[in-house]
Formats: sequence, structure tokens, C-alpha cells
Amino acid sequence: MQEATFLILTALAASSQHGYGILTNVNEISGGRVRLRAGTLYTALDRLRADGLVEVDREEIVEGRLRRYYRLTPAGSDLLADEAARMQANAQAALSRLRPAGGMT
Amino acid sequence: MTELAGLEQRYRRLLAWYPKAFRHDQGDEMLGVLMAGARRGQRRPELGESADLIRSAFVMRFRRTGSAADGKPWSDALALFSLVAPLMLLLATVLEMAVPYHLPSPSPRYPRPLPPWLSFREIGGLRLLTVPAFDITLGCLAVIAALVLLGMRWSAVAAIAGTAAYWIVSGGISLPFPLQALSVAVYLLAGAALLASPGPRRGRELINWRRGIVLLLAAAAIQAVTLMYDAASSIARQAYWDASPITQVTHAGGQTTVTVSRVLSPDLTGYLVAGAALIAIAIGLAVAWKQGRYYLLLLGVTLYPFALQVGLSPGRRNSGEDLIALPTPGHLTVLFLPPLLVAAAILIDAAAPRRSLRLQEAAT
Repeated sequence: MQEATFLILTALAASSQHGYGILTNVNEISGGRVRLRAGTLYTALDRLRADGLVEVDREEIVEGRLRRYYRLTPAGSDLLADEAARMQANAQAALSRLRPAGGMT
Repeated sequence: MTELAGLEQRYRRLLAWYPKAFRHDQGDEMLGVLMAGARRGQRRPELGESADLIRSAFVMRFRRTGSAADGKPWSDALALFSLVAPLMLLLATVLEMAVPYHLPSPSPRYPRPLPPWLSFREIGGLRLLTVPAFDITLGCLAVIAALVLLGMRWSAVAAIAGTAAYWIVSGGISLPFPLQALSVAVYLLAGAALLASPGPRRGRELINWRRGIVLLLAAAAIQAVTLMYDAASSIARQAYWDASPITQVTHAGGQTTVTVSRVLSPDLTGYLVAGAALIAIAIGLAVAWKQGRYYLLLLGVTLYPFALQVGLSPGRRNSGEDLIALPTPGHLTVLFLPPLLVAAAILIDAAAPRRSLRLQEAAT
């Protein structure tokens, strides 16, 4: 899974978000390291919706403009949980192997 | 306020790169996100942001083309094309027989007996039936057209494969050169369309009298342009020379010298005007009647080798008159690469499993 996709799913994990909310959330989650642009976000959202991982939660009109809120589907939650577990296992493996090396120096 | 309006206008222009359906659904929403992310006093989109939007728009366009093959415009265009293309080729061939290019008679003072090439009175026409294997080729065209009309997709694919095999084994297509170029492109693309689309049965549901009119106009335009090609051919030029008024015939040392006062020249203007008018009307009606971008794109790619063959050949006086007559790999590449690539793209797109389905399986 690409990092951008992972971060978008993570941004939606706790609550539904609108497009701009996802962008600021991704920025926060990544500690300011990843700054998604709107084009990339909507390309990813289009795919995630087509794949049934993300769906529209509700729509609002704010200042005369449509604002759509997105949320994870159960399949999206499962996929994110699996991915996070996989990343955690990988990270743990990396750290456990680094520890003896770190002890030697 | 004007700064904001200007920025919004510029974002709108960038969003125009997205497919219409996407823009309709999410354009306004995206504009909101873009404006929310704008800095104070920002007057134009950042370069990186613009590049990101254009890249995203192109990805979206390709994605929609691909996913539409599940049962929307692209697959309907293929189904319609698989029915129409063989009919157009048959119609063009029948017109080639019905409307020949008439050659002038040699001057009455021309020394008899006439050389063999002067015995032709026309290019095309019913004389084609005496060309070896033309009748077999015509039969193949008719059978394929009948099979697609009957909605028999797999039989039509088999008939196209059989015709291609016959042409390869017998060492050539016995159609006039412009129609050869057309027939190769038609069978490449129609074959791919038959394999990749819901088939000619679906095509029959989509055909209507408007599409029929455009089809007839296209076939007539093909014939008008072919006649122009005939008029510019070396056979026609020779015939006009032989028909020119003879002022003097001298026999000296077993050699006959013919002197003419002025050489007549074949008139291309009428065919050129008729062809251009028919093409303009056909395109105008096709656009006005909204016959579908993908369908028109397929027809355009099919006609490309024909247009190139006709367009380039007469200009190349005498030598190498036909791109197919003296085919080098370069000639064939230039003539047939675009239809070949489109046919390959159609088949690859149809053969590739839908990515979204794969991902969904992985997700569950």
C-alpha cells in the first residue's frame, strides 16, 4: 500500500472527514512530512471508493459549495488494520535486529 | 475579492482537464478544497499544484476509459464499431464496382493495334471481377458483413481470421490499393472490437437511421476520394496523354513517333470537391447527432491508412505510386502502426482483469 493511501485511510479511521480535513489530517499524522495535494487526494479517493474501501458519509453545503464527508467502510477498516499490523510487525523485526548491533557499539 | 475570483477562475480552468462526469460529480467539491488550501493573497495556483491537478486529470481519464469497458460508452462504441466497420468496407467495395473512374479513349489517330493498357476503359468497375481472386475477396467481405448483421460474433471472428489467412497464403489482397489499406485496418480493429466488446448483437441495438446515414456518407466519401486517387494515378495520366489530339505520326526506322499539340490532363477538382464536401457533411452530422467520441475515434483510426495511402501516393509521380505496392517495413509501419496499437490496446484492456475487483478480493 502506498504511504499516501495509508495516511488517507488513517485520517478517516477515527471519524469522517471532508476533503480539506483529510489534507490537514494527513499533514498532522505524518508530523508535517507529507503534504498531499488536492489532485493526488481525489485520484486516491476515486480509487478507494471504486474499491469499496471508502464511502461518502454525508454532504453539506457550506458557503454555497458542496462539502462531502468520507468515512471508511468495514472493508477499509479491515484493510487498514491488516496493513498497520503488518507494518508494526516489520518495524518490530527491524528494531529487534538493530538492538544487538546497537549494543555492540 | 477580485484576487479570489481570479484564483477560482484559474482553478476552474485546471479542473476542466478532468473527465466531464468526474467534474460534474466532484468538481465543485474539489474547487472548495483548493480554495480552502489557498494562502492569503494567493493569485494563481502554484506550479506544483497545477502539475498535480493535470497529472491527476489524465490518470482519471485513463481510469474511466478502462473501467467503462464494463458496460458503458467505450464498450458500446466497440460493439457498434464491430457491426459498422465490416458493412462500411463492403459498401465501399460495392461502390468501387458501381462507380468506376472512366478513362478517355485514345486519340482516333493513335497507331493501331493499341497496346494492352489502352484496352482498359475504366479503373474499378465491373472489370474488377476479372481480377484474379477478387471474387473470393468480395465473397469474404460479404460473408463477414452478413455474420455481423446476424449477430454471430464468433463466426465473424473466424471468418476474419480465415480471410486474413487466405490473403497471407495467396500473397496479397486483390482489392484496389486504397481499399486494401482500408480493409487491413477494418479487420484489425473490427476483429479486436468483436473479441473485446459485447458483440454485434449489442451493436444492432445501437444502430439507427442517423448512424446509417453517416455510414452511407462515409462510404460515398471513400469512393469519391478513391476516384480522385484514380484520376491522379499513372494509368490515368498515360490515358490522358494518349487521348490528346495528335498532330503528327511519323514512322522512321521501324519506330513510330507520335506528336501531340497539347496534353490533356485529368480533372481532379470535381472529385476533390465532392470528396471534401461528403467528408465535411459526414463529420458535421456525426458531431451534430452526437454519435459518440469513442466510436468516431475508432472510425478515424480505421480510415487513417486509407487517407494516408490516398493522400501521399498521387504526389509521388510515377515511382513508388503506392505505399502498399512496394511495401518496405517503414511504409507498413507508417500505414498500420496506429490501428495496430489501438487494436492491441482494446485487447489488452479487455484481457486485463479489473484492478478494482482484484483489490476488493484482497481486501475481504
